[in-house]
Amino acid sequence: MAGKLNKFETPSSASSDSDTELALELSEQVFLDEEDYSRAPASPTTVPNVRSYRPPSTGSNIAKSPRARRVRTASMSQSTKRTAAESILHADRRTIYTAGRPPWYNCTGGQEVEPFLIGICGASASGKTTVAAKIIESLNIPWVTIVSMDSFYKVLNEKQHVAAERNEYNFDHPDAFDMELLVKVLQRLREGKKVEVPIYNYVTHSRESRTKTMYGANVIIFEGILAFYNADVVRMLDMKVFVDTDADIRLARRLRRDIVQRGRDLEGVLKQYMTYVKPAYQNYIAPCMAHADIIVPRGGENKVAIQLIVQHVHKQLQLEAHIGQPLPDSLYVLKDTPQVQGLHTFIRNKDTSRDEFIFYSKRLMRLVIEFALSLLPYSHLHVDTPQGFIYQGRKCDVEKICGVSILRAGETMEQAVCDVCKDIRIGKILIQTNQQTDEPELYYLRLPKDIKDYRVILMDATVATGAAAIMAIRVLLDHDVPEHNISLVSLLMAEIGVHSIAYAFPQVKIVTSALDPEINEKFYVLPGIGNFGDRYFGTEPPYDE
Amino acid sequence: MELIDTDIRPWSAEEVKEQFGDSLSLLPSNDNIKELQTILRDKNTTRSDFKFYADRLIRLVIEESLNNLPFTDCEVVTPTGALYKGLKYGAGNCGVSIVRSGEAMEQGLRDCCRSIRIGKILVESDTDTHEAHVVYAKFPEDIARRQVLLMYPIMSTGNTVKQAVNVLTQHGVKEERIILSNLFCTPAAAQAVVEYVPRLKILTSELHPVAPNHFGQKYFGTD
Repeated sequence: MAGKLNKFETPSSASSDSDTELALELSEQVFLDEEDYSRAPASPTTVPNVRSYRPPSTGSNIAKSPRARRVRTASMSQSTKRTAAESILHADRRTIYTAGRPPWYNCTGGQEVEPFLIGICGASASGKTTVAAKIIESLNIPWVTIVSMDSFYKVLNEKQHVAAERNEYNFDHPDAFDMELLVKVLQRLREGKKVEVPIYNYVTHSRESRTKTMYGANVIIFEGILAFYNADVVRMLDMKVFVDTDADIRLARRLRRDIVQRGRDLEGVLKQYMTYVKPAYQNYIAPCMAHADIIVPRGGENKVAIQLIVQHVHKQLQLEAHIGQPLPDSLYVLKDTPQVQGLHTFIRNKDTSRDEFIFYSKRLMRLVIEFALSLLPYSHLHVDTPQGFIYQGRKCDVEKICGVSILRAGETMEQAVCDVCKDIRIGKILIQTNQQTDEPELYYLRLPKDIKDYRVILMDATVATGAAAIMAIRVLLDHDVPEHNISLVSLLMAEIGVHSIAYAFPQVKIVTSALDPEINEKFYVLPGIGNFGDRYFGTEPPYDE
Repeated sequence: MELIDTDIRPWSAEEVKEQFGDSLSLLPSNDNIKELQTILRDKNTTRSDFKFYADRLIRLVIEESLNNLPFTDCEVVTPTGALYKGLKYGAGNCGVSIVRSGEAMEQGLRDCCRSIRIGKILVESDTDTHEAHVVYAKFPEDIARRQVLLMYPIMSTGNTVKQAVNVLTQHGVKEERIILSNLFCTPAAAQAVVEYVPRLKILTSELHPVAPNHFGQKYFGTD
């Protein structure tokens, strides 16, 4: 905590703040929303609320306070210093990509599942960011994009810039935002397209030449004080959440933060509050409440409300993913015969001995590889027979085919592919999760020369989130293998993984012998097989019980 | 190309169903299986390729045949602690191969059921009358209470299979407990066998007017 507090001590520095929008600790929620109440344009406290937002009415006495300069510490403003890793959020042991899919997830792929767009509106210091963070934390979805309305402040001209320097520019007014750009960006994100979100520089009041790249995601959260102000934006939102925190609590938070942490004087903070923040709430923010689907009193500490929101989003996503948008066309599941079920029963049973586990999983692999081969392109072929008639047969159009296994579990399928394709070349990819960052990393790569000319059968025994498979596909694409020449073959996949892969790479054929509905918190598929590699190679840790 | 006789073609699954009902089923076809069949049909296929692709087709036919064995529902606990509703196959199955070409399918069965008992029947046809008679038969002792997977890859008249079924029933095996695994079958042979033992189940990969009778010789290399 101490480390965090230190960072708040320099109010004039816009970029030194910590990345608190991503902080999840409950104890810090008080400070989470600092980007709103840290604004310091101020004016005489006596100005009536209704008129106070008008720039001419703002007084200049606030200039007496050396600390009353406009301070921006919003997390978005630190994007300049933020590396890719910083837009990754870790909850428990999960990794959540808050900028949408990381660059290597972005490919030529089209949109398969429409993202769910949540709008969070609420007064400054009401706890919007905390609510957003809590929703993300509970959602258990790998890709989330957070768009803050603060990124869309208008570029100020010379005169406005001077006014802002003197805290006479109203940043709480709807006119301060570039609504046109905002609508455009949200629209593109909703379509799953890559967008360049401006990075607003609060010192120069202009956009930096650099932009922040965001990608389509399963869930997009858009938050801001005037999130529901623009009708076009409101129309796009699938769910509208209004965070309603008592005015005295909001003021208390601002006072505590600005005075205790930023060393500003009481008078300045109050003036700023009365001149801009409070009127803006009454004139623009509070009326937005009418648009809300759900109003969350007490902000982030309202666990019940957040749980309700999460449940609703899950339900909607499932409807979209499984009913409205059924399983992708690129998924091919082996016909569920009694034998296939019988084999699954053996390999899923935790009491199956390794000997039997290996034997029965190999039988299943053979079937799934044969099935994968049947999905390749074929053409008609007439052959002469010893019986003297011409047989109308088929011939596979694929001349060059190779296998690529994802270590370690994928290697178990190499034998099956060698058994059905004579002299097939086998490549290997090792992807491991970095224990520090929980990020998948590429450790080892051996591929046949000229792999771009091959049809690739990419093998992994199980696919849970699809992260490793997606990275492996990305590696193959980087080696110029056309996307439609890749088949991902697996014994067992979780639906979320299938959706993720099909979303990122719609042309990749996804072949599996079974599809399970869920994954658990350890990323194992449910009901699943357990750790396939450990069971196959006999390296499972001793039983705890 | 104009020599192609459109009547000499494999039967579709619908035609088979209409003609033979549940007695005969086809291995669900796909391009991969058709390619395997094409390679086996092609007179220019090398022996090494022939055996390799025959073994692949046999494996698929055996796997499909096993679907006809009896099973019961069961629930198992997975390593993640979840419940999986699966199937359990009963014990008490055995394979019987008809010498010689049926023996080509033994390895395929072994690859699926490691320690399954396998009996053998040798049926010889009289070269003049085409009448088949059993020369040799050796079965597991308790074959009468087992499900029998009878293996014979090529059927053109069905005479051999009829004799083999005779021997099995003489040993107390019930007709409905025999599953015949077959690669290539002619409609005539299918008709003959179904009429002779209507409750036997036949699984084949292709029902075609012309049987590839060179199979045994090419597979074992005695042509």
